[in-house]
Amino acid sequence: MGQGPQHGFRVAGSDAPELAEVRLGYLPLTDCASLILAQQLGLDRRYGIRLQLTREVSWATLRDKLLGGAVHAAHLLYGLAYGIQLGIGGPRREMSVLMTLNQNGQGITLSNVLRAAGITDGTRLAQQVRRHPERLRLAHTFPTGTHALWLFYWLAAHGVDPQTEVETLTVPPPRMLERLAANALDGYSAGEPWNAHAVQTGMGFTVITSQAIWPDHPDKVLATTREFTTRYPRTARALIMTLLDAARYIETTADLNTVARRLARPEVIDTNVDTIFERLRGEYRDGLGHHWQDPHPLRFFGDGAVPFPYLSDALWFVAQQRRWGLLDHDPDYVNLVTQVNQTGLYAEAASALGVAVPSSAYRSSRLIDGRIWDGRAPELFAARSPTGNRHERPVALA
Amino acid sequence: MREPAAPLCILLVDAVTERADALAQTLAAGGHRVITHHGESGDLATAVARIEPDVVIIDVDTPDRDMLEDMHIIDRERPRPILVFTQDDNPDYIRAAVRAGVSAYVVGDLDSRRVLPLLDVAIARFEQFQNLRRELVDARTALADRKPIERAKGLLMKQRGMDEEMAYSALRRMAMERNLKLVELARSLIAAAELLTP
Repeated sequence: MGQGPQHGFRVAGSDAPELAEVRLGYLPLTDCASLILAQQLGLDRRYGIRLQLTREVSWATLRDKLLGGAVHAAHLLYGLAYGIQLGIGGPRREMSVLMTLNQNGQGITLSNVLRAAGITDGTRLAQQVRRHPERLRLAHTFPTGTHALWLFYWLAAHGVDPQTEVETLTVPPPRMLERLAANALDGYSAGEPWNAHAVQTGMGFTVITSQAIWPDHPDKVLATTREFTTRYPRTARALIMTLLDAARYIETTADLNTVARRLARPEVIDTNVDTIFERLRGEYRDGLGHHWQDPHPLRFFGDGAVPFPYLSDALWFVAQQRRWGLLDHDPDYVNLVTQVNQTGLYAEAASALGVAVPSSAYRSSRLIDGRIWDGRAPELFAARSPTGNRHERPVALA
Repeated sequence: MREPAAPLCILLVDAVTERADALAQTLAAGGHRVITHHGESGDLATAVARIEPDVVIIDVDTPDRDMLEDMHIIDRERPRPILVFTQDDNPDYIRAAVRAGVSAYVVGDLDSRRVLPLLDVAIARFEQFQNLRRELVDARTALADRKPIERAKGLLMKQRGMDEEMAYSALRRMAMERNLKLVELARSLIAAAELLTP
């Protein structure tokens, strides 16, 4: 494996991927960029595979196609990968998380009605919730998914119980804006370009970015079934290498305007280039008159820190799913994430490309509520109620 | 003509109006009550909560499908069969998805000759899957319940000098008198014992 990727990574003999063609499913979002670039630039050929990308319109359909084998791997919500592993509200299947596809770059949008009422941040939203009996309707993209968990965490950080004090529901991103405009929604938590779109069309404002909830949080993952990783380990590795190469290219070499153009095409996201481009390069306007260069924008590579499937990242999602009762028992947390997150396979792929592999599978972050998340004691974190106390477990008395 | 087993309330979600109309007619002719829903007609989740359909038939190409996912989580007690139809001609993945208990998938156009029998098959499969799932949950609960009952029995045997059979029937009698499940009584007994033991 002496040749660098710039010369093409040659795979031969027993190292060759078992499959020549890899079918990869995604949802049209800015954070699917590395998949699109990998295919359009032919990076897949360097690693002995050919990517077949299929765009899906719903996470449920992408999940079904992955479990049914119509796609081999998928651009998936982190929480959904674990939702399938744990059988939360749907089919249960052993899963593999091969790498993290991006950090940051999601957000929460609120309606103009709330803005007119002076509700422009989390604190004021919490006051509103307390004062008014009518519950706000806030949407996310999938019950076990990332956007639901950012929304819940943000609300809870302001003392609002997302399960009783507001109404939360799933709405597909393409429908969110019209619902917001029709006053059928008060806000939503979604990926880009949907928050930028609300600002640019003047139909809503960004009340908070996901990176303000957790700077450099993990987001989408490259996921497949355990069966696939076991049967086709070399193909899985080639797939990681392809997307790692694409992620590195986006952050080190690519002209982001060109990347935005590729993403904006009708067959991908089908929107105007600027809606994608601004936030892709970290430039934010919130629709309230603030304009800033974000210190934690959407990123794909971070010198190898982004794609590494940290166990502590996975533990956060499982602990939050437990916290909100999506999971009705404490799993064997560490055992679970060690089996799902393929740190070993990832390290092989990264080393072959000369990409640095973090020395620990745990990292430490400070979240919006001041808590440190380092993956230790997930069961304690999971047991917290919105106000930070442990849930009262029901005790039967004679 | 076949007789429908029981008329169903069907929520039909399809953005293609002509196709939805044709399908609705067929289903109605089969004796079912059909309500159609388009992407523009408001939240699908709200519609499901209001209408409480027996089954949802949905086009795979609508993003609205994700809205139904909440049903499986919030509505754990009363899940509904979902029939997904698709033009995508890949029977392998559809077979596998059905085996996984995901949802029933139907390939190709839902023409009048196929749709009613397919509906029956989908509902039968769904019920079969739900039964399996329930049995699994019951088995797990039974296993989890056994531990506290064994402990409570042990407590009675040790502190009251009862033999195993006496301890068990004492527990059962007390549970019945207090209208509690055996496992609930066992837990209370353990909690009380812990409280009283220094």
